[in-house]
Amino acid sequence: MIKKFLPFIVVFLLISSFSIILFDNAAYAQISLEEAISNIPAGSEKGEMDQSAKKGFLGIPGAPSPNLMIGFLWAIWVGWIFSTVGAFGGIMAGVGHISIFGLGDYAKTFKTSAPELNKLVTDSIRVSNQWLVGLSALVSSISYTKQKRLVSSLGLFLGLGALFATFLVVFTTAGKVKFSQYQGFFGLIVFIIGGFMIYEQSPRGQRSKKEAQAAVKSFEKTIKDKKNIEDQGVKTLKWNIIKTEISFFGQKFTFSPVWAFVGGFFISAIASFIGVGGGFLYVPFLTSIVGLPMFVVAGTSALSVLIGMTFSIFNFMALKGVIVYWPLIGVELLGVFAGSLIGPRTAKYIPNRVLKGIFIVLAVYLGFRYTLKGFFGITLL
Amino acid sequence: MIDRILIFFYKTTGFPLLDYFVGTFILAFLCVIVGDVIFLIGKKINGKYIKKMTTEMKKKEELSIIAYQRGDKAGYKALNKDATNAWGKNFFTMAAYSAGMLSPLPFALGWMHTRFSDVEFLLAYPLSLIFGETVGYTFTFIPLYILSRIIFKYIRPYILKNLK
Repeated sequence: MIKKFLPFIVVFLLISSFSIILFDNAAYAQISLEEAISNIPAGSEKGEMDQSAKKGFLGIPGAPSPNLMIGFLWAIWVGWIFSTVGAFGGIMAGVGHISIFGLGDYAKTFKTSAPELNKLVTDSIRVSNQWLVGLSALVSSISYTKQKRLVSSLGLFLGLGALFATFLVVFTTAGKVKFSQYQGFFGLIVFIIGGFMIYEQSPRGQRSKKEAQAAVKSFEKTIKDKKNIEDQGVKTLKWNIIKTEISFFGQKFTFSPVWAFVGGFFISAIASFIGVGGGFLYVPFLTSIVGLPMFVVAGTSALSVLIGMTFSIFNFMALKGVIVYWPLIGVELLGVFAGSLIGPRTAKYIPNRVLKGIFIVLAVYLGFRYTLKGFFGITLL
Repeated sequence: MIDRILIFFYKTTGFPLLDYFVGTFILAFLCVIVGDVIFLIGKKINGKYIKKMTTEMKKKEELSIIAYQRGDKAGYKALNKDATNAWGKNFFTMAAYSAGMLSPLPFALGWMHTRFSDVEFLLAYPLSLIFGETVGYTFTFIPLYILSRIIFKYIRPYILKNLK
């Protein structure tokens, strides 16, 4: 297993070194939380800070202290979505950090009086989302590696793209993104996910499902005579920069490493900026555009998410000094777990189509709300 | 109360640096055990559902490969897409279970922040080139957590055997 991960570790270390050399300490040192707090005008008005007030989020005097019970209950909702709908759970986790715990509104109060604090809180929200996604991707990647579902060559090119993108995003946006901008971009991403969900429910999306069902019937008999494909594992036959050939179950598949790199770069750039995993983009990209089978795609996309998130968290926290509120992440992980236990038990009472419909409406609403509020300052109900 | 118990493990030898690593290792090991118990509870409650979901996903993957073998491109494309949906559900559900397994980590890191947020370790070259001049408590906790998980992997079968 170590051998599989070795190329990624080497690349990770190389790019980390590169980032340090390129941006020496003086150049990239971001203002610390203590410095940001000390720069805030004293007082009790909006945009001012009473230094003697009770410490809240991240130890900031007078900041809201996220209610851990609300965090836990919200995370149950997130976990429930994970186990019933899928990708939209990550978006809901972000909604919790932005709206439900009062952090977004708090950050906004310092938009003009203390923009450094506004940006530090925004970065903390982004990194909190990434912790949730990164930790989940970690266990999935280990599990897929054990199942021999990992294609080192594909993972390497995707991961390289992800590393460069994350590097670029962290060093160009850490400490520079205002909360309102982040909220606006988050809204746009929700639109994209909503778009995927609408497509799935459209006649065209449904037609491909029907085709799949017909194909399932015609191939079901054959499967009984076959050996377990997991025993075979995936092998890379030859790989170079133009074309890479992999094989499993006696079949050959080819892909372009350049495409894998480009895909990894763009998907990871979005994921790192918003603080989502990007699995919802990796999987359709690898299956539909690159044309690889799901068996190969599953583990490799989980690994790509892990690489992107690890590098992003490392850069934000270790190099940029962004801090997170650990107890909130802890109760959120527990809540997500509890919600995923409830999901399967309730799913049978709600038809899948109804469920998807509800989340499409929610995606459109959230997309509009955040985009309008973030970019234009317009508040929807 | 929890603070008193946890800090007790940091006072075992009388040598500050050694105490720090012993205490952090024990803390990491506790995280592994608690996380595993949470995961087992989840598996026990929803094991049937997980199995059904995984079987469905594997079946669809196998079918898509058979279609590919037979040169049925349209069938492969449709089945591959169908497997994507099954995988999505499986992935996010397993991600949620992983969340339970790893949930003790942030609590441990949160506790360490209250105790060791000012502690910094100077790094020697070439590590300093990669991680900067100094690192904090997270840098020591995570490798020890990984080490604990590896050790626990080998101990776990014996514990489960004795429990049965």
